[in-house]
Amino acid sequence: MMQLIWNGLIVGSFYSLVALGYSMVYGIIKLLNFAHGDIYMLGAFVGFLVLSSFGGIPAAMSIPALLVILLLAMVVTGLIGVAIERVAYRPLRSSPRLAVLITAIGVSFTLEYGIRQLFGPNPRAFPVRLSSESFDVLGMRVSLSQLVLVVVAAVLMFVLAHIVERTREGRAMRAIALDPQAAHLMGVNVNRVIATVFFIGSALAGAAGVMAGAYYGSIDFLMGFVIGLKAFTAAVIGGIGNLYGAMLGGLLLGLLESFGAAWLGGEWRDVFSFAILIVILTFKPTGLLGARVVERM
Amino acid sequence: MSARSPRPSRIITTLLAAGAIAITAGCSGGIAGGNDPGESGAAPEGPIALGMLAPFSGSESAFGVYMQQGAELAIQEINADGGVLGQELELVVEDDACDATTSVAAANKLVTEGIVASVGGYCSGATLPTLPIFDQAGIPMVIPAANSNDLPDAGLPGVFLINGTGTQQAQSAVQYAQQEGATTVAVIDDATSYSADLAEAFVEQADAAGVEVAFEATVTPGENDYASVATQLAQAAPDLVYWTGYYQEGALINRQSVDAGFEGIFMVADGSIDASFAEITGEGYIENVVGTFTQTPDMLVGAESWIADYEELAGAAPGPYSTQAYDAVRIVAQAMEDAGSTEFDAVVTALEGLEDFETFAGPLTFTEDHTRESGGFVIVSIDPESGQFVLKDDLQG
Amino acid sequence: MAPQLDLALKHAPLRAPAPLFERGKPASGPRSQPGFMKLLGALAFAFLLALPFIDASAYTISIATSALIYVMLCMGLNVVVGYAGLLDLGYIAFFAVGAYVSGILTTVLDWPMWAAVPATILACVLAGIIIGGPTLRLRSDYLAIVTLGFGEIIRITANNLDVTGGPSGIHGIPTWSFGDWSFRDGLDLFGLHFSGTVLFYYFVAIVVATVGIVGVGRLARGRMGRAWKAVRDDEDAAEAMGINTYFTKISAYIIGAVWAGLAGQLMATHLTAISPNSFHFLYSALILMAVVLGGMGSTPGVIIGGLFVSLAPELLREFAEWRYLIFGVLLVVVMIFRPAGLWPATAVLPWLRRHKPQAWPATAPLESLGGDDRAEVGPAAGARPAPADPRAQDPADDGEVRR
Repeated sequence: MMQLIWNGLIVGSFYSLVALGYSMVYGIIKLLNFAHGDIYMLGAFVGFLVLSSFGGIPAAMSIPALLVILLLAMVVTGLIGVAIERVAYRPLRSSPRLAVLITAIGVSFTLEYGIRQLFGPNPRAFPVRLSSESFDVLGMRVSLSQLVLVVVAAVLMFVLAHIVERTREGRAMRAIALDPQAAHLMGVNVNRVIATVFFIGSALAGAAGVMAGAYYGSIDFLMGFVIGLKAFTAAVIGGIGNLYGAMLGGLLLGLLESFGAAWLGGEWRDVFSFAILIVILTFKPTGLLGARVVERM
Repeated sequence: MSARSPRPSRIITTLLAAGAIAITAGCSGGIAGGNDPGESGAAPEGPIALGMLAPFSGSESAFGVYMQQGAELAIQEINADGGVLGQELELVVEDDACDATTSVAAANKLVTEGIVASVGGYCSGATLPTLPIFDQAGIPMVIPAANSNDLPDAGLPGVFLINGTGTQQAQSAVQYAQQEGATTVAVIDDATSYSADLAEAFVEQADAAGVEVAFEATVTPGENDYASVATQLAQAAPDLVYWTGYYQEGALINRQSVDAGFEGIFMVADGSIDASFAEITGEGYIENVVGTFTQTPDMLVGAESWIADYEELAGAAPGPYSTQAYDAVRIVAQAMEDAGSTEFDAVVTALEGLEDFETFAGPLTFTEDHTRESGGFVIVSIDPESGQFVLKDDLQG
Repeated sequence: MAPQLDLALKHAPLRAPAPLFERGKPASGPRSQPGFMKLLGALAFAFLLALPFIDASAYTISIATSALIYVMLCMGLNVVVGYAGLLDLGYIAFFAVGAYVSGILTTVLDWPMWAAVPATILACVLAGIIIGGPTLRLRSDYLAIVTLGFGEIIRITANNLDVTGGPSGIHGIPTWSFGDWSFRDGLDLFGLHFSGTVLFYYFVAIVVATVGIVGVGRLARGRMGRAWKAVRDDEDAAEAMGINTYFTKISAYIIGAVWAGLAGQLMATHLTAISPNSFHFLYSALILMAVVLGGMGSTPGVIIGGLFVSLAPELLREFAEWRYLIFGVLLVVVMIFRPAGLWPATAVLPWLRRHKPQAWPATAPLESLGGDDRAEVGPAAGARPAPADPRAQDPADDGEVRR
């Protein structure tokens, strides 16, 4: 039981990190960024590239080295996110929303199969593995790497919440989310703030990618696809556009999957999660923490 | 029709005109031109074309390349020896992307290109819908890799399987489990056709052999976190678990199961036999891993020259299913030679009449339902030095 | 100016305002929008009929059949997304329902294929109601994820149940037979021998796709179609105008479901085998892509989109390794340069487009304010190209702009 909860929280923290980016981008330009999951994949591959160019890293150094690589990958994926926004999404900002959605799917294909051309179709083993020595806490098997994972995820989310709620930049983001034109009139540099949002969202996904690579040990060019869908689901459960909603939704989805797999068997796990999603949305049509949004097509 | 549709007469005229033009102009290449399937392969003139459907795009694309190279090596050797029936052989490959729609289009393309036999078929799900197409066109199929029980069950006369079937593989797995003294076993599959079939066969055979199946599970492929199934497996604590899916998930499940406290043998099926398994599952997690696999050249004594030839042709080492594709081409060539023609009936009869034809997986004679008599499965384990799977037990003793 | 103007208006004789400038006669015949579209449609139809006479290779005919089935599928999704504005990310589920219902009825229960048609339609109507019923009250993005969820639920269920054949699906689906005659037997007609199931599926696909295209076009112009578009453009306003928005949405959903189901049945017979892999989320995205790429709500656009999505992978067969990469880049480029799609619903034929507004007649002096005071509105109104004919819209699309 406790083990199920712990397993769920681990998966959930990955979902949360990716869902945050989804939710932020949606909140600010109402775009379902289908390519977001692939940023997670890019993060993992950036980490892979850096680590394999270094050669071996002593096991004792693996955690500090990983933290450095984590930051590096965050910067790189953040910049890639900004570039994608600039090239593919900004020219379409006044277009029908579905056109941008299709562009996002196109970007997703491009990233996935671009990486496939560079690194090949087969999964790659991540060069550094977090050790998985584990100890028992409250009847759960908890490993050091899992603790590191959860702590890093929590720190990142805390920093993000601080940025959005306490800084000038964050205020500008919230202003644009409410009304981009009014924000523009008030002197907010809308393009710059949107670029910042893409940077932060992509950096979080990239961080999640590196951590997934180090924790699970296997990366491939399609690894972002499933987690992208799951993160989208998580963001919607929590109420898309709401940051705390994304965190809550991610953790909740992780728990749902963990329990669904245990009760009904792995093959029915996704059916269980999606059924719960539909039930939640039927009774709470804007997600758990979502506010009513005005429809803008 | 509403009243405002203008000039229906004009449309009809246009239509008729276009139709008439097309009929008069195109009769030769068209319907009346007699592209009736079933006529192919009478007396061979020019090179004899063998068709191969294999995945060259999508997640299984690596295997397609191995199969193509294996088949090309066989063709090169046969042509050097004077070909078949005095003609050269040539290989036509098409991508089936492991997907039914693509494979049907590709199969039709091969038929159109005039192949006389098919030596392809990797994914069972993509191979099944192509059976009636080749059957109608009168093209015999020697399927090198796909081995779902649904293939022989389709009951078509021209379908031959040279890879061991799920039942045979499950037999070897159960045999090894008993040999190791396992009293409880578990099985995990990845919800794909082949994997689920194999898992089912394993459970049946284990029951028949009196080995208790303590835990059965299905996972969703393409993910990273299998902690929940790993936890359940560790709780069920069987002596041996059989993973019937592919290596990426298998390696992750093995690692996560050991982390969760599983201490039994982790046995994998042929889809997981790849050097990447050891790499992904990581050091310190490979001692308990064994696999069921058909023999590959590097496990056979005296296959060095074959591997050298292969590397010279392909510029890379042979991989999974290179040998099966190589054998498939040789089997078809032998059958055509025996039959003295490339006619469907004659070739099928010749294939049925093959006796103890030497293949990498041992001598081959087709059974009643056109599968091989013995699967030729052996037990492999991971060599800690190279991370490659190497022969551990040939199950003969 | 006010008193003068009042005086002038008071004494002006009451008569209809003279037209500001002469309008050209609306184009008619094949040059007009409806005429041209009909001609184009007829030519395309003739080409389809003639194709087997030009190249009857099994390969050509089989990819043409698949392409027609895709077009049918896209027409159905066009109703849901293009006309009714409901973002559906799980549309392939209805395709799956159609394929599985007909597959199970004909293989397990040994029904003849034609008898499965009404059952397929019924099952799709039911599926539309079941999926649409609880969810259509949600708005766009929430609806998107719920439909995605349903799509996955249907696929996974099909993968896990025994009656659907589990992961290997259903194979050996029989061909169409009527009494003693089946597609396999071929047919002698006008001295020509038509043989092979491949060709028959092709002709059936032509008929079904044509009926599907014309049917959707006619529905879209009717009362129901106008309601769909009203709901799409502004749900609240539509409701205020007395449209039952819930019923309107669910009707769009059901029509879409039936179209997809019939396409699914065709696909099942064409391939003779179906497996859950063919109903992956990726295919929902692909169909949606076809609709948006071609131009939402535009019949010719959606047909082009459907053909593109189904034929591009075949045409790029030589570049198997690269095709999805090319595909992705192409999508981005096309959307950046033509965000409303390749053939948008609002497209006007080039020769009907008037680039230069006509010269604006000089404003008449106040004294002679004969009866036309519209000059006050200024030249801005004249910058719009004069509509050729109020009815002269594309026969099969709606001609409205979506923001």
